[in-house]
Amino acid sequence: MGCGELVLELRFRMAELAGGTQLHLIASDPGAPEDLPAWCRMTGNRLVRAEHPDYWIERG
Amino acid sequence: MNTKFCVNLSFSKNDPDKATVGFVIANAAVASNKETMVFLSTEGVRLATPGYADDIAEPGFAPLKELMANFAKAGGKIFVCSPCFKRRGLDETKLVAGATIVGGAKLVEFLSENASSVSF
Repeated sequence: MGCGELVLELRFRMAELAGGTQLHLIASDPGAPEDLPAWCRMTGNRLVRAEHPDYWIERG
Repeated sequence: MNTKFCVNLSFSKNDPDKATVGFVIANAAVASNKETMVFLSTEGVRLATPGYADDIAEPGFAPLKELMANFAKAGGKIFVCSPCFKRRGLDETKLVAGATIVGGAKLVEFLSENASSVSF
């Protein structure tokens, strides 16, 4: 899963979390290193740590 | 920053790859908190008919039916070109989730409100 499919699924998953909760995402898609920081900037979520393919995102 | 995003899509089974990628990008936009609208015109309008997209599944992508359902679930809108729909004899009383038949003015209004767009 990558691109729009990935970030939309991510949006659905993050919506289920309380503010401040971290989600650990494993995203093997080659676009993820650019896409996920961009998605976090646009949506107000915080990319805590990124070590492709592992990402930790805190709900804003 | 622009908050509106439009995906122009004019293909369906005549280019299922483009039809699929159009909705993948639309899903990226709606997931990124953009007010997102897919404008279906010419052959693209067939996608607004329930069941039509059921057998479109490009390798490497989720099935188009699933992409469209998730787009609507996330609040995405689909505008369907009225004359394109009519000339193909499609049933305007049966539309997929999130779809509305519109004329050109509705598209112009959306795009004029500082929207960004991409075309397939």
